[in-house]
Amino acid sequence: MTLLSFARGPGMQVASLIFIAGMFWRLFGIFLLRRRVAHAAARHPFPIRLLGGAVTIFTRTIPRRTFWPRVGAGVALSYVFHVGLFIILFGGAPHILIIHEIFGLSWPGLPRGVIVIASGITLAALILLLVRRLTHPVLRLLSKPDDYISWAIVFLPVATGILLSGETIASYGTLLALHILSIEALMIWLPFGKLMHVSLVFAGRFVLGYNFSRKGAAT
Amino acid sequence: MAQGCLKNFNFLADDGLVDTLLMEVADLLENFLAHGRSGSIDLAGLPLSASCLAALEQRLGHGEISAMIRVSGESETRETAFPGVWWTSHADETGRIIAMLIEVTDVPDILRAGKADMARGQIRLQAATSFAQARRTA
Amino acid sequence: MTAADENLGEMLARRGFGRRGLLKFAIAMTSSLALPPGMAVAMADNLAAAKRQSVIWLSFQECTGCLETLLRTDSPTIAALIFDFISLDYQEALMAAAGGAAERTLRQAVAANKGKYLLAIDGSVPLADGGVYSLTGGKSNVSMLQEFAPDAAAILAIGTCAAYGGIPKAHPNPTGAVGVEDVITDKPIVNIPGCPPIPDVLSGVLVHFVSFGRLPALDDRKRPLAYFGTTIHDQCYRKPFYDQGKFAKSFDDEGARQGWCLFELGCKGPTTHNACASLKWNDNTSFPIESGHGCLGCSEPDFWDQEGGFYTSLAGGTGPGWRDAGIAAATGIVLGSAAAISARRNAPKGTTET
Repeated sequence: MTLLSFARGPGMQVASLIFIAGMFWRLFGIFLLRRRVAHAAARHPFPIRLLGGAVTIFTRTIPRRTFWPRVGAGVALSYVFHVGLFIILFGGAPHILIIHEIFGLSWPGLPRGVIVIASGITLAALILLLVRRLTHPVLRLLSKPDDYISWAIVFLPVATGILLSGETIASYGTLLALHILSIEALMIWLPFGKLMHVSLVFAGRFVLGYNFSRKGAAT
Repeated sequence: MAQGCLKNFNFLADDGLVDTLLMEVADLLENFLAHGRSGSIDLAGLPLSASCLAALEQRLGHGEISAMIRVSGESETRETAFPGVWWTSHADETGRIIAMLIEVTDVPDILRAGKADMARGQIRLQAATSFAQARRTA
Repeated sequence: MTAADENLGEMLARRGFGRRGLLKFAIAMTSSLALPPGMAVAMADNLAAAKRQSVIWLSFQECTGCLETLLRTDSPTIAALIFDFISLDYQEALMAAAGGAAERTLRQAVAANKGKYLLAIDGSVPLADGGVYSLTGGKSNVSMLQEFAPDAAAILAIGTCAAYGGIPKAHPNPTGAVGVEDVITDKPIVNIPGCPPIPDVLSGVLVHFVSFGRLPALDDRKRPLAYFGTTIHDQCYRKPFYDQGKFAKSFDDEGARQGWCLFELGCKGPTTHNACASLKWNDNTSFPIESGHGCLGCSEPDFWDQEGGFYTSLAGGTGPGWRDAGIAAATGIVLGSAAAISARRNAPKGTTET
């Protein structure tokens, strides 16, 4: 069995199963935890509380103006990375193809040149984010192996994807195998590390907004 | 494998590549004049676009000789505007180009008669002349 | 001088081909083999002086497609004459002799050319149950291979079956089929894979061997580099469409009719090494992609068992399936709930359910 056939076969199956099991494990494990009882009466009815939670998901996308000098650069850089990754994943033809093969959905992709530029910017943003984490005294203090592993495990698919798209450095088969394997590593790691923020960031904002709404505070 | 390159590659119509090839031709000429060693460049093995090939042919130009060789299809060798630099193309019976070369030599090998062929021809000629003689004396 | 003593040059001369014809053939061959053009004269001179090269062809667990493809040169060209000369001393489908006479022919050919014959094999070698699944005259393929390989100068494994096991080796491989290289490990082997292989590749290998007395340069899978050094994708005329992101989405849709790239329809061109895109088939007429179907990857090992089959793109593969995904989800729910419940039990007093 070649590396590529492993990646496209058993590797894909194992990684997918671990990813699915892991996501449900973490989400149920978190949502079923005990919560502190709020003895005060709710200031808003339940539907308003739900709305408060939902709205908070969006209002927290931009930090408050007061914080811009301190966190602005990091947030902006982070958005550049995330938007770039979104463009690659949902605008790139081979990724749309995979979604089509699994779910049957499809949409027109973006021109290759756009993806190439987005990939370059995404990679640069990712590297700058690491530099920031390593040079910012507070971030460096707070960073754990989880942060660095999560960074590397996102960096590898982006880097191998760029090499594969450029068909450079190694043979197409090898690059494709490495790209797929790096994504399988990401799928296995995601539910169990900092990358779980892909779901928890929204859940966290929602809970915050719901609780604030319950207390009658602004969201 | 090599023949396909001529048709299937869509590379930049690169004047730079033509210049490089001409420099290689110049090197081969130098080699022949200094050491008597013939050389050739297999054009089919290079990523040349149709326009690149045409540009190269135009830069080399046409000389005094053009020879058609009819064996297993048609082959043509013609001297370019530079003496000793020949443009040779070989086609099979269906007319498909099977090889294209720039040869740097005094006479391309394909034009030379082989000694074994000449010996066989000599036998045939002797047979023809002795037969004619036999007829006259008969 | 009898016909048996004459060399190739003399034989060709009898048929009206002089030195120029042979030189032209050699020029085309050096180009095809990606050798320096200056070697053409040496090749032509060596070919002219060459005596008959014995080739003994043993057919094992095969469909005869590889032999058929090699017979499809129907023009009486100099190439055909040269291959007439490279004597096929034994080939069961083509020879007139049968039964005991055929076996005697084989033994005589081997004895007369000991150490010098090329052993051409097509078909895989079944090993299961002592090799009973493919017998010739009561003898298993594996025993014939082990008997005749030691006295051969080199072995040519023709077609994907002989090279890597091919279709008989596809899951579940009931006959225990393997390629020649899995049985013989102490002889030079050239793999000429393809289902079937391109005829010109065998010609090139034979001419190289007859001209220079050795096999051409091989890659890490023992394939001639001149023909298998690049992938179909590298040489494909539809590559500009791949680069522009223009893909056919289904057979006979607008994109397919415009000749767009077949990547999304499962083309394995990017991972398949062969010369189909440049040499093509049937005298340079066409090849699968040009005829509208993606490359199957037939010159690569285990192509019959590739993940997802022929019509799943290289971007995809074989996922777990919805049933297994459901089981994984259920497992996750159970584990997560168990973790949460255990945490609740251990929570400090005073906290109760909201």
